[in-house]
Amino acid sequence: MKEKSKVNGKPSLLGPFKAIKYLFKKPVTLRYPFELKEPSLRCRGFHLNDWDKCTGCGNCADICPNEAVTMVEIPEIEAKPGEKNERPQIDYGRCCFCGLCVDICPPGSLRLSRDYFHIHFKTSTFNLLAKDEKIDKEHFLPADKYSVFKASLAHRKKDNEGFSSELKYSLFEPKRVSMPQVKPEERKLSFVEQVLGYSKEEAKQEASRCLECKLCEDACPAHLKISDYVRAIYEDKPDESLRKIFEDNPIPAICGRICMAHCEDACSLGKRGEPVAVRWLKRYASDMIEDYKKTLRLKPAKSIDKKVAVIGAGPGGLSVAYFLRLKGYTVTVFDSLPGGGGMMRIGPPPYRLPIESIDKDVSHIASLGVKFRFNTTVGKDILFEDIYKNYDAIHLGIGMTVSHSTRVKNSEKAYLALQFLQENKIGKKVKVGKEIIVIGGGNVAIDVAREALRLQHIQYPEEKVITKTVSLEDWDIMPATKEEIEDAKAEGIQFNPGWGPKEIKIEDSKVKGLLCIKVKSVFDEQRRFRPTFYEEKEMFLKGDMVIEAIGQGPNFSFIPKELFKKLEFTPRRKIKVTEFGQTSIPKVFAGGDIVNLNLDAITAIADAKRAAEGIDLYLKGN
Amino acid sequence: MRELELYFGPQHLGMVGNFSITLKVEGDQILEAHANPGWLHRGFEKLMEYRTWIQNFPLVCRINVIEPDSMEMVYAMAVEKLAKIEVPERANYIRAIVLELSRLASHLFGCWAYANMLGFDTVAQWAMYHRDLILDLFEQLTGARVYHIYICPGGVRRDLPEGFKEKALNTLHTIGGCIPDYDATFFNNRLFYERAKGIGKITREEAKELGVTGQILRATGINFDIRKVEPYAVYDKVDFEIPTREDGDAYSRVWIIRDEMIQSVHTIMQCLEKIPEGEVYKRVPNPFKWNIPKGETYVRVESSRGELGLYMVSNGKDKPYRVHFRTPSYPHGLLVLEKLLKNASIADVGNIMISLYVTAPEIDR
Amino acid sequence: MNKLKKELKSSFKGIRTGILEDNRLAVSAPKDAVLPILSFLKNKGYEHLSLISCVDWIEEKELELVYVITSYLQKNDEYADNERLHILLKTRISRENPEFKTLVPIFKNAEPYERELHELFGINFEGNKRLTPLLLERAYKIPPFRKDFNTREYVKEKFDKISFVEEKKNERA
Repeated sequence: MKEKSKVNGKPSLLGPFKAIKYLFKKPVTLRYPFELKEPSLRCRGFHLNDWDKCTGCGNCADICPNEAVTMVEIPEIEAKPGEKNERPQIDYGRCCFCGLCVDICPPGSLRLSRDYFHIHFKTSTFNLLAKDEKIDKEHFLPADKYSVFKASLAHRKKDNEGFSSELKYSLFEPKRVSMPQVKPEERKLSFVEQVLGYSKEEAKQEASRCLECKLCEDACPAHLKISDYVRAIYEDKPDESLRKIFEDNPIPAICGRICMAHCEDACSLGKRGEPVAVRWLKRYASDMIEDYKKTLRLKPAKSIDKKVAVIGAGPGGLSVAYFLRLKGYTVTVFDSLPGGGGMMRIGPPPYRLPIESIDKDVSHIASLGVKFRFNTTVGKDILFEDIYKNYDAIHLGIGMTVSHSTRVKNSEKAYLALQFLQENKIGKKVKVGKEIIVIGGGNVAIDVAREALRLQHIQYPEEKVITKTVSLEDWDIMPATKEEIEDAKAEGIQFNPGWGPKEIKIEDSKVKGLLCIKVKSVFDEQRRFRPTFYEEKEMFLKGDMVIEAIGQGPNFSFIPKELFKKLEFTPRRKIKVTEFGQTSIPKVFAGGDIVNLNLDAITAIADAKRAAEGIDLYLKGN
Repeated sequence: MRELELYFGPQHLGMVGNFSITLKVEGDQILEAHANPGWLHRGFEKLMEYRTWIQNFPLVCRINVIEPDSMEMVYAMAVEKLAKIEVPERANYIRAIVLELSRLASHLFGCWAYANMLGFDTVAQWAMYHRDLILDLFEQLTGARVYHIYICPGGVRRDLPEGFKEKALNTLHTIGGCIPDYDATFFNNRLFYERAKGIGKITREEAKELGVTGQILRATGINFDIRKVEPYAVYDKVDFEIPTREDGDAYSRVWIIRDEMIQSVHTIMQCLEKIPEGEVYKRVPNPFKWNIPKGETYVRVESSRGELGLYMVSNGKDKPYRVHFRTPSYPHGLLVLEKLLKNASIADVGNIMISLYVTAPEIDR
Repeated sequence: MNKLKKELKSSFKGIRTGILEDNRLAVSAPKDAVLPILSFLKNKGYEHLSLISCVDWIEEKELELVYVITSYLQKNDEYADNERLHILLKTRISRENPEFKTLVPIFKNAEPYERELHELFGINFEGNKRLTPLLLERAYKIPPFRKDFNTREYVKEKFDKISFVEEKKNERA
């Protein structure tokens, strides 16, 4: 459509008088400040920050194009894994109200309000530690107490949220790249490795999600340089990534599969989305490199004429050996198993951690010149006294190798978890029943249950088989990781949470089932493990095999009595060590499950790194 | 008569914006004019080399205060071309709506400036009020009135809010309904006609030679509009016309602005009608790890003043290697202005300058 | 596009052409060929010089001049298959001795662009009579848009020397 205008001929002189009609119309202007216009719901004004949700990750400060945001340390806030004690402070002399900080905020705590007035003579008042009405009751006022004449950064309206974070429009990617896995129906039939590993493109894409706030590095017991090695993967340099990993962790193929991934719990992206798959990325880096030695070219320092004995070739022992070997010491590792890995060798079933991956890490450490003496049980094949005499320092990384029993009636008829796992992984396979009951709610119990299920499918093809678990803990406090529980459920394992074992029923010296009683509570007021039961509520589970997986303890029987007496323990029955892993016997250092409460590989590695420093200092005479 | 040198601006009642002209005058006739930009040179192109792709996006809109959206658009388009990002269809519609709204706001602002300059204060107040209604729409949609920071690489930052369509239609009807009043008091006003007719006349050949685009070019009869020549957003899917005139003087330029406002109103209504459901934002990579592959591109959009182009080079890093804006006011405010002022009278300096629709911040960048 | 490419290649020696995308043709030419190519293109109907830009390739010690030319016509009869063609004509000149010939005789509107590049990159356009300051008010040791001019360092050097003015103590609260 086209309006024809008067191009030819001159326009009229009288036309403009048409405007006179506006004299009789109401004015369109507002009589400010008596009449106010409400700012829009998306108004980008001053910041609001929910301190409970804020993790102090500092992404807002990193993205700010004007460097208006600084992270300020707040002494009242306690820093913990996944939360720094820093909060953003905004300089309104610099802020351009673009709201990028809101769109990058992973927990969504930072928002913009609809206030935009601030007049003051002091420039210092233009720096604002962003808070919201939740913790700042003084400066946020309800509508009836608020006056526009006093409006400033210290006089703001309550519940006046404007531009806020929406996950759909966030600058970070909340979804992780899904890991290709073997389907539950297929994987439960054999011991094939469940997780297939990222391809190059998938790994790069997953690595690109990392915002590099480094909350994970604080949370990791061994403080791996996670953001650096993830960035190296993003830049398609797996060798550099691996080099970064090896600074703190010499067993990435193992950790890349079974690490408890405290980093992922701390990841700021996990607050509203899925955390970066740090563990799978580590696995990718180690899988990408065929031969660590060729790529990394690590060389031990000049030889030092001191000998160190490492007892136990678990993650801790391997790491101590690696760190000390790089420093130039002569290191010998003793282990009763036929290969390295310790608990890693017997514990995690092959579908989670294949033996080849363990051997890849162990053989690299061996190639650096660490001497391994496998199939050597200390106390039987070699005496601890001899080691104590012949070596300059000893590291104990013996782990928890004795399975606890429930000690209920007929419990001697039950299998113990470690025995079961070990026989299946490195011995001959156990003959399993058709209906198996696993007692326990931890990761070991789930490993046992899933392994038992696979054995059932192999030994009774095409037949109906059942594996069920019984645990004291209910769903909400079950110690096993969510991921494991979900995987187990998908494979068809039945769970009976909140039940305690009472008796294993026997008929004709054959297991018939397990009698359970309902759990009232698991912990007492001091959060100590002290289960109570409703004695009258009973349940009978049918089954022809019972496996107990309720925890393990250490075995110190190889240490001679007079030495053992000198060894001090903490109230929680752990070996007492200094910050460098030194026990009360100066020559003996310790780490791993016998020292810490985390009971996992990465904490053992962290202990080992400190112990290696300690042994180094000790042997150098400091 | 004596030859004098007269400094016109940057502090001068007849000057809109931070711009100055040095005039060589004899009596009230201008012998020679030298445009003197740079009062607002902030070195944006250099600053952008220091910021990441995402950090640049709140910056670009500041190059032109009056019409920030086409700046955002051209930046987003260049980044999308280099990074090979496809924008969702709904986002393209919203972009077109935003761009047309901002064209409308800019033209109204231009009407204010011109009317104010020539003493038609009533019209100026109306234009300012109607522009404010559009800013209200912008506030509702983007959260800010002037620097919207809304069209981002990958789409737009938020979907249309609830009730936006009704409110937008309401505003458009209000503005469209006032066009007859504008006509009577301003565009078809005899006083205005006498003041603008024949002023600042430029021929088709001269315009081509000086690299002129936008209304100034269309006022000489060349039907050249990038929305038609090289459609972006959804301009190939909506029906609108490009008004042209033959005279090439200030009067026809202003009439083109008026006709374009009507076209804009119709375009926005069509977009609001046709807009499909769907996503409005395709997530761009993590801003801390976004490296755009090596490459270069030149993209252009039709801003309210003419061809707005952006030459961008990436060297594969997380920041642009070089950006260079080709702003429409650049040829208009320098060469064309100097040419038109020659032999004009002092009283017409502001008149000519505003009829060229020059915005100083665009020249300086 | 291909027709034009062939024609360019046959008429001028030593030029490289590449297609960027969407009818954007990039032509790299040796220094001497630039002006003839531009006037050749102007005669072909590409009479709108959109932009002259410059990129500082500091590692290669070269400055790259970029001429963006297109047509005012919606359809160019001779090359109807590729209407709306942008041509990016690029040439490299030495960074140490940045000299080039002016384009003003062919495209009048090259003048302010050349002034700007002279000011921001220190390129001397031989034949342009008006290489006077355009945007900047003071002279810089290094032309400020070159890559070795670090704005942050410059700001530090220039403004950190200015002492901070204390707020008055008896100011109003």
